[in-house]
Amino acid sequence: MTGGIAARDVPALFQIDPKRLNRMLMTTGLWLDIGAATIRVHSDSSVFGAQLQAVYGSFPAIEHASWADVHVRIQPSKGFRRWLKPQALFHCDGLQTFDPFPAASPLPLFEWGCNWAIGRRLNDRLLLHAGAVERDGLALVLPAMPGSGKSTLTAALSQHGWRLLSDEFGAYDPVAGLFQAVLKPIALKNESIAVIRRFAPGAVIGPEFPKTRKGTVAHVAPTSDAVKRRHEPARPGAIILPRWQAGAVARLEPLPQSTVFPALAFNAFNYGLLGADGFRSAVRLVRECLAWQLVYGELKDALSVIESVWPRVLEHRSGRPQ
Amino acid sequence: MERYGRADGVLIEALGHLWAAFSPLSGETTLLNDESAAILEVLESGGSDTSGICAALAEDSGLDAKQFVAAVAGGWPRLLEAGLVYRLSDVAAAW
Repeated sequence: MTGGIAARDVPALFQIDPKRLNRMLMTTGLWLDIGAATIRVHSDSSVFGAQLQAVYGSFPAIEHASWADVHVRIQPSKGFRRWLKPQALFHCDGLQTFDPFPAASPLPLFEWGCNWAIGRRLNDRLLLHAGAVERDGLALVLPAMPGSGKSTLTAALSQHGWRLLSDEFGAYDPVAGLFQAVLKPIALKNESIAVIRRFAPGAVIGPEFPKTRKGTVAHVAPTSDAVKRRHEPARPGAIILPRWQAGAVARLEPLPQSTVFPALAFNAFNYGLLGADGFRSAVRLVRECLAWQLVYGELKDALSVIESVWPRVLEHRSGRPQ
Repeated sequence: MERYGRADGVLIEALGHLWAAFSPLSGETTLLNDESAAILEVLESGGSDTSGICAALAEDSGLDAKQFVAAVAGGWPRLLEAGLVYRLSDVAAAW
């Protein structure tokens, strides 16, 4: 865990020379401070540095820090293999935890590997499997249900006035009663990539990686504002269970607590591990947050209906009318 | 008639029209209906059996105890499986 690495006077990743970044990755390693956690990454890959710069460009390029929650290494395969079908390997704390990826695709491997590691490390927080964005100091949590379009909706919100906390982890600190950012690029798959390119032409989207196990993948970079504010927590505000449905008119339907609780708890990465603390945290969230099911066909309509109920969320959480 | 006790440390919270119960014994969380939650509430004051639970619920609600028998008798397997209650005879046998 990290309380945040002082990043004053540290250049952003996009500002440093690619050769220097590659040297850093090969020697001291790069510390990526993503808010609630810090990842130290080493790599011998010749292409990984440029891919990191594309989607972590606003993050500080920290060369030395005192603590990292996750230590990972991306390296090319060795032996004859590297001549026949070169691959990238992911090591976490010295162990190879995933099957290799093509050597040209280290970024998706890094992203999946780090999500896997973070989901197992940050056990002083309840890690909901959810997108999370912030506005007015309050978190809007979007639990990941199959077919929900969670990442697409999170990406759209993050490009339209909502601060991205995370696309993957609703990281709830039960002691502080606050959500923390686990700020990483948003992984889009297949048709969602073009959808977000159209919806948010200003979004910084990294290279496309075809033929991964999830199809074509590309990553949306967090905005520079989200990176700057990655240590700002957010109070629980609202929970929205999104469901994309072709052609549907966007609508929000209030959800009973008995539906929201399992959507949060039984979908969390570490609910079982946290025992009674996880139970109390999930109950507290369900009681504090307003909750809806969102059915939508078009992103702009989804954002409109969310905006339309946000004053109610503010009122609910402040205890006074807006 | 089989007697049951409530597992130590059980947490139970109302969530609208259902209840969420956590058992430290099993590590599981279970959603319960009112009848099962009522069984756990009665057991908080000590071990009991189906007729004892029904009598307590009847006293509390003013209804006939017979009305609760089917729901209470049918509730034990799920409560046992979730680690929320245990058979007192199992404890006695262990000693």
